[in-house]
Amino acid sequence: MSDPKNDAGTSQPKAPANDPKKKEEEDLSEEDLALKQQLELYVERVQDSDPGLQKVALESMRHEIRTSTSSMTSVPKPLKFLRPHYGTLKSFYVTMPDSNLKNYLADILSVLALTMSAEGERESLKYRLLGSEGDIGSWGHEYVRNLAGEISQEYIKRQSEEAPIEDLMELVQQIVSFHMKHNAEPEAVDLLMEVEDLDLLVEHVDKANFKRTCLYLTSAARYLPGPDDMLVLDIAYTIYLKFEEFASALQIALSLDNMQHVRQVFTSCDNQLKKMQFCYILARHGITFELDDEMVADDEDREALQDIINNTKLSESYLTLARDIEVMESKSPEDIYKAHLLDGRASTGASVDSARQNLAATFVNAFVNAGFGQDKLMTAPADSSIGGSTGNWLFKNKEHGKTSAAASLGMILLWDVDSGLAQIDKYFHSNDNHVIAGALLGVGIVNCGVKNDCDPALALLSEYISKEDSSVRIGAIMGLGIAYAGAQNEQIRSSLTPILNDAKAPLDVIAFTAISLGLIYVGSCNEEVAQAIIFALMDRSESELGEPLTRLLPLALGLLYLGKQESVEATAEVSKTFNEKIRKYCDMTLLSCAYAGTGNVLKVQNLLGHCAQHLEKGETHQGPAVLGIAMVAMAEELGLDMSIRSLEHLLQYGEQNIRRAVPLALGLLCISNPKVNVMDTLSRLSHDSDSEVAMAAIISLGLIGAGTNNARIASMLRNLSSYYYKDASLLFCVRIAQGLVHLGKGLLTLNPYHSDRFLLSPTALAGLVTMLHACLDMKAMVLGKYHYILYLIVLAMQPRMLMTVDENLKPLSVSVRVGQAVDVVGQAGRPKTITGFQTHSTPVLLAACDRAELATEKYIPLSPILEGHVILKENPEYREDS
Amino acid sequence: MLTVSVKWQKELLKVVEVDTSQPPYVFKCQLYDLTGVPPERQKIMVKGGLLKDDDDWSIVGLKQGQKLMMMGTADEVVKAPEKGPVFMEDLPEEEQVVSLGHSAGLFNLGNTCYMNSTVQCLHSVPELKSALVKYSHSGRNNDVDQTSHMLTVATRDLFGELDKSVKPVAPMQFWMVLRKKYPQFGQLHNGAFMQQDAEECLTQLLYTLSQSLRSLCSSESIDTVKDLFGIELASRIHCQESGEESSETESVYSLKCHISQEVNHLHEGLKHALKSELEKASPALGRSAIYLKESRINGLPRYLTIQFVRFFWKRESNQKAKILRKVDYPLELDIYDLCSDELRKKLEGPRQILRDNEGRKLGLKANEKSSSSKDNDVKMTDAEGSSNASGESSMTISQEGGPSEKEKHLTGIYDLVAVLTHKGRSADSGHYVAWVKQESGKWIEFDDDNPIPQREEDIVKLSGGGDWHMAYICMYKARTVSM
Repeated sequence: MSDPKNDAGTSQPKAPANDPKKKEEEDLSEEDLALKQQLELYVERVQDSDPGLQKVALESMRHEIRTSTSSMTSVPKPLKFLRPHYGTLKSFYVTMPDSNLKNYLADILSVLALTMSAEGERESLKYRLLGSEGDIGSWGHEYVRNLAGEISQEYIKRQSEEAPIEDLMELVQQIVSFHMKHNAEPEAVDLLMEVEDLDLLVEHVDKANFKRTCLYLTSAARYLPGPDDMLVLDIAYTIYLKFEEFASALQIALSLDNMQHVRQVFTSCDNQLKKMQFCYILARHGITFELDDEMVADDEDREALQDIINNTKLSESYLTLARDIEVMESKSPEDIYKAHLLDGRASTGASVDSARQNLAATFVNAFVNAGFGQDKLMTAPADSSIGGSTGNWLFKNKEHGKTSAAASLGMILLWDVDSGLAQIDKYFHSNDNHVIAGALLGVGIVNCGVKNDCDPALALLSEYISKEDSSVRIGAIMGLGIAYAGAQNEQIRSSLTPILNDAKAPLDVIAFTAISLGLIYVGSCNEEVAQAIIFALMDRSESELGEPLTRLLPLALGLLYLGKQESVEATAEVSKTFNEKIRKYCDMTLLSCAYAGTGNVLKVQNLLGHCAQHLEKGETHQGPAVLGIAMVAMAEELGLDMSIRSLEHLLQYGEQNIRRAVPLALGLLCISNPKVNVMDTLSRLSHDSDSEVAMAAIISLGLIGAGTNNARIASMLRNLSSYYYKDASLLFCVRIAQGLVHLGKGLLTLNPYHSDRFLLSPTALAGLVTMLHACLDMKAMVLGKYHYILYLIVLAMQPRMLMTVDENLKPLSVSVRVGQAVDVVGQAGRPKTITGFQTHSTPVLLAACDRAELATEKYIPLSPILEGHVILKENPEYREDS
Repeated sequence: MLTVSVKWQKELLKVVEVDTSQPPYVFKCQLYDLTGVPPERQKIMVKGGLLKDDDDWSIVGLKQGQKLMMMGTADEVVKAPEKGPVFMEDLPEEEQVVSLGHSAGLFNLGNTCYMNSTVQCLHSVPELKSALVKYSHSGRNNDVDQTSHMLTVATRDLFGELDKSVKPVAPMQFWMVLRKKYPQFGQLHNGAFMQQDAEECLTQLLYTLSQSLRSLCSSESIDTVKDLFGIELASRIHCQESGEESSETESVYSLKCHISQEVNHLHEGLKHALKSELEKASPALGRSAIYLKESRINGLPRYLTIQFVRFFWKRESNQKAKILRKVDYPLELDIYDLCSDELRKKLEGPRQILRDNEGRKLGLKANEKSSSSKDNDVKMTDAEGSSNASGESSMTISQEGGPSEKEKHLTGIYDLVAVLTHKGRSADSGHYVAWVKQESGKWIEFDDDNPIPQREEDIVKLSGGGDWHMAYICMYKARTVSM
């Protein structure tokens, strides 16, 4: 993005210089010849001893140059003809006594240096600084750009010599103000970034150009290293706030994860409607945020706003969307498997239930009917005479399978706390511990992302976390983790941390406690929780350290530092003292979590380096390293594409344990975004001779197609289901993937990125990463008895909709154009932001890479990005055409 | 007295008075009146905790107008069904077979795919299975030699094993006994057993079984194997030179399908094979003359086996060479026109009934399309309905089984139930595979120890014309009607 000015600064001058002189003269037209002679005359006159004559000559030379700089395609004629005399003028300049005229000449030399200066000499700048300091723009755009390039080089040089830079900064001022006035915001921003003084920008932005400036700032931030990106975003935030573009300011505050800024947005804005829109943005981001009377004075208003943040109405609008799209009717797993399309090859209608396949059906049913409040297995009318009634299906699952079955009720009733709790209630009275565990987990799932004043999840679950039976305990603990992800609830922490260091607690309880704490304190860098997990890790015996479950502990530790970059270093230091069995695993996990979603290229290279090593058998840390590549690189499109290519290499040269993780990494990179090339790779891997690679690839096919109903993936999976009909484990994975593709009947997305791929929801990413880490050891976790860990994706589940509401928050149907998003950063004029669009009326579904814009002028959206809930305000200037 | 509001499911109980001097249990009873949820099932949530029956209100810190949330239903508590479902994973192996929908495969013991595929084809005949089950050690008759007896027992045991296991079976015993009875199968080549002709194996096996199974029921003189597979042929032998004519009858276990330039379809090949020329001494001419032998089918079996005569002895290469010509065969075979007049008469009645039945079935479906049932294009409609009908008819037959046998009448229409294919260029090499239709109507390809489900339309694609598996022996099952 910072390229253009360098190009202009260095490459342009040399191009025409080599033309043979003779030919040049032959080709000259009469007019040009006259100009040439004229200029030669001026040059001679300048060297005249008479100051009067000198002055006239300089003035005319200057006039010639200025009037001719309009052409952009070639070197202006006067400059061209003056080239041979550059040296003469330069040497004459040295001999000149100090005077106004000398300054004049310096100005002209500065312009001539634009094409003549040898590389690295920065003569243009040199003479500019010596010159008259007049209006910089009068010499044309190209001159200014060149100067800007030289300034940044000079700046670096002076920084290293610790020389003063005041004179440069004065020039920078001029250039920035010139750029900002002439629609060249990117150049201005680039220059200021080079000279490390972005604050200057704030003075120069105005109503006309602040949007473009901020857009450039925010997108440049992704490519900046270290603290610079924060700085840039901070400037953008300041500018947005200055021009009262609060919604955009809020988004930047969220991406900075700066709650002070979020507060400031609320306190600076005094429009209730706009605040409502802020609340919708906060709710989509999935963070816990309490409004206080400073932010919203009126009690009733505050309650209404808090309700939006708490997502209390999410279920309602999701169902509105479903009704509008007419997908309310429940689907059974058979509707998804579509076995009739596979006659012959599909397994024959089994007369005996297979526990594994019933469990798969449970998950498929839960994923497909997620949030709809009704299905054909769990909530079907409890009429016991009909085959698939409630009680019956639950008991068609075996032992721990019942946990997932009972919990699936939570998934079906997702976000609908009131009726969800009522339906789950009956399972609390079961005498089967697995069922109770499922009910507890179900309560957690229902409350995922939804907060309630009465804290029902906490009230119901907290008394079970110290029960005797470990499956009940895990159910309650995981339920808390899901319901309070990101909430940083002190009460839960004080009741969960003791379990971590309880010598009597079984390993699985400890592992899930750690994960839950990691989720609740995601990205908080909380010292106490970190300490507790570290102690728990140190307490593990040698044999326990080899268990797959133990690997959840480093992950939990990593979640605490999710996306927090350097803050992880102290803990990473401590991890060096761990037992060598887990040390490297811990290292990789911490590194990848801390830099998740930053796009930090250095960290990607570091992780790739770890993957390049060929290890002794039994080392497991390369799995998280591969996932780490995806976690870090998923931040922006370019890095994402690059890492897809790097992963392709790993597939070819990597060891088996790397190959097993690659499909999962691809799944994370393209989650809910079925890119064709990735789909092909995964399809190929799904037939791999290594069954673990195949399983990971199949699950990832589900992940990349999650909630898209993608027909191609669906048919791939159908064929896989007949290909693997004999292998129960692989078939289970195929079923799960089928369920994922039809997640919420195609209304949901798992993408943790939202708001035009600008914001990353930490809880969503945490849920996905945990699920993927569990998939690294498929046999021990997902295919074993901890399959309910799959429910963690609920943290990432969000309706992929655009719902427009009026000022009373009632759904309002307007026509919108939905099309492929186009990157318009730094483009001139008012480019189209979408291409290949179709016009729909809201509510409407948005696919990955889709962008929407209103097709009517009648309303004004209160959010700059049309995603999720958007409040529309009537446009007072709108007139009906007819 | 405080008043609070209680949220219960979607309802909001707006004004509920709380007497803070009484224990919370009283409050719960109040709610019981309002909601019908018994107090012990009520869970009342007060800011991050549950309200206990004996809590102190002052500690709970209830405020005027506070919102409480109550969870609980008066629904019946879910109880586990008394008899839990049985899961496939828990079943003993033999019961898993039932749910698998097909029987097990057979391990290849070293070029024994011809034997495996033959066994799989025969194994698909339930009547043969039941006949074998009846065969016991004690029932051994003296006219059956020891080795035949042993082979029969081995067959019975192998069939039993196939039905019981999910995992592939190693037919060790059967293989040993087969070699003992027919030493030609024990031929060695370079120290390994040689590939053999599956047709020979089938013929020999059927012959042995017919011997031993006949002797079992000697009192009734029923020949099970003949009853199942035997085809009565009535031939007229005619010498053109002398005008002599004679007729003879014979019983064979399979029809041949001759393959020549003109043969594109099974039917043509069968016709071809029923006409043959032979040279024999003519008593009238006093020398050998060319006789024309024309055969007609005079008695139909329940299972019609057809052999594609694909192999012939090629003298120059000294091996059995293979004709790769594509010969189509149908899923439903009508051999009415190969039958003798006598047999045709017998078939007339049952065929009419079958036609009517099917006509009715189709008519019902197509809103009493009565015209089609009378028309001569019944065959066409048959063909359309065959895919559904064949499945059903085979089911009914297998269900009704033995006792009603007498009322079943053959119709001359046969449904394909098994195909034995060969892949490769000569009989002594290549690979034999059995494709067998299961009782569920699904097709399974038994490639030694690996059963693979296949689609019906892929079965008719095994007709040759390339290097893919091609049909060598087809087994058809008679479609019968009860009268």
